[in-house]
Amino acid sequence: MTDATQAAGDVLLAIRALSKSFGGLKAVDAVSLDLRAGIITTLVGPNGAGKTTLFNMITGHIAPDAGDILWRGQSIAGEAPWRIARRGIARSFQDLRLFAHMTVEENVLTVMEPASWLWQPGGGAARRARRARTAAILQATGLADKAGVRAIDLAYAERKFLSLARIMASDARIWLLDEPASGLDRRSYDLFFGLLRREVANGVTVCIIEHNLDIVIGISDRIAFLDRGRLLADGNPRDVLADPHLAAIYFGERAA
Amino acid sequence: MFAYSLNLATLICINAVLAITLNFIIGYAGIFSVAHAIFFGVGAYTAANVALYVNGSMFVAVPIAMAAAAALSLALALPALRVRGEYFIAASLGLQVIGVTVFSEWKSATGGIGGLIGIPPANLFGRDIVDPVEFLVLAATCLALTVLVIGVLVRSSFGRNLKAIRDSESAALAAGKNVALIKTLSVVLSSSLAAVAGALYAFYLSFINVESFTLDTSVLLTAMVIIGGTGTRLGPLVGAALLMLLPGLLSYLWFLPPTEIGSIQQIIYGAAMVLLMIFRPGGIVGSRAGAR
Repeated sequence: MTDATQAAGDVLLAIRALSKSFGGLKAVDAVSLDLRAGIITTLVGPNGAGKTTLFNMITGHIAPDAGDILWRGQSIAGEAPWRIARRGIARSFQDLRLFAHMTVEENVLTVMEPASWLWQPGGGAARRARRARTAAILQATGLADKAGVRAIDLAYAERKFLSLARIMASDARIWLLDEPASGLDRRSYDLFFGLLRREVANGVTVCIIEHNLDIVIGISDRIAFLDRGRLLADGNPRDVLADPHLAAIYFGERAA
Repeated sequence: MFAYSLNLATLICINAVLAITLNFIIGYAGIFSVAHAIFFGVGAYTAANVALYVNGSMFVAVPIAMAAAAALSLALALPALRVRGEYFIAASLGLQVIGVTVFSEWKSATGGIGGLIGIPPANLFGRDIVDPVEFLVLAATCLALTVLVIGVLVRSSFGRNLKAIRDSESAALAAGKNVALIKTLSVVLSSSLAAVAGALYAFYLSFINVESFTLDTSVLLTAMVIIGGTGTRLGPLVGAALLMLLPGLLSYLWFLPPTEIGSIQQIIYGAAMVLLMIFRPGGIVGSRAGAR
């Protein structure tokens, strides 16, 4: 694995014929998809399309039945989730999974502390740098005055921002965000995607699961449309969403 | 009366060390173990054997006792922590049951049911600690050190790792935490510190047998943690003191038949746990909302 920065548009993460079944249900069925560096790719599709399962396989939380996942050309399928995370793949969860009984500051700080042993490398200087960076991230996400509050005591929108703050702290090259904007009001939503755009401009690659088509059009550079575990379309947002067949599936007009 | 109080205070210190180290894994790592008495026992038997046959110095016996408990806990943690929480409870229960059998059958090391007698007193810098007041100071010092060590750990990055895993294991994994290693390390730390309590206990009584290390002890320690307040700094101390004082306090209640005190105690523990779970799920020290 080299650390050379890849040009925007290069394939950072390649999914190759990935499949996963739960019992008789094919949750993800031979999906191949490239996530390209420096852009926002959005996964759309009705509930049960396999979007979250795809995320879970990329991050190692679920082992695929078949197929491969290539991170910068190297296979990572079936690796332990924490190893995959350390390669630079961060994710959020639809149900957030914040560290509920830890403070906002601790939630962010702990992501920057990779060592499993009793101390972190780098000593006092590194510790001060982590504190400073935590403060900066909390400032950027509007959580600065909540630093000492436990995650469980935050309001809904604040929890969403804490989930993003945790990912910002991870230094990951690619962010997999599972419905990050659901339930946000207009103002929070603008702040949220303003932040995201800035991070993408700084070289982060993003893959989002999103249901709201207005949001999808507004933020996506590329769309992948999934239904019943299969990838039906992959391309420019307007082209994909203009397809009447896909629209029919999305809005549930399919003769089931 | 003075001797009685001294004895009680010393036993509270020893049990508080156990409760605090158990709280470290239950309250901060979210690992529920019912085998803590086994690590207490391994510490006691190891220290006793070292003192009897090798060297009576605390600085020899205690580290060896800690190492023995750490090694045993590794044997439990490595396979058991790779699976989900419920399995660890089952595995620790298995260890507890097997441990008691070994303690009562391995006659050459544990003296069997009869136990080990004539354990020499604790020796510090060439001086025997026989005076009960001095021993209380020793036990209180060990307790203070345990409080300090656990306190520092909990506030460190390691403590944050533990709490993150407790609150959401999958999110901790997604943040790059080596969950299995962190959990294993916490169990090893907790068990080796429990062995310090075991060594103190053996030196203090100069006699130990399997009775002190049964499932009842493990359950009592768990009760101390829960009643005091899981995941709080002072909770296990309060819980240990309270449950150690309870039998004595009950004997002051003249209307209770002395022969039934034991079973009345059990009823009170059970009732206290149920009432706490309803009204104060965070324990006596914990916040009302069940803060950790």
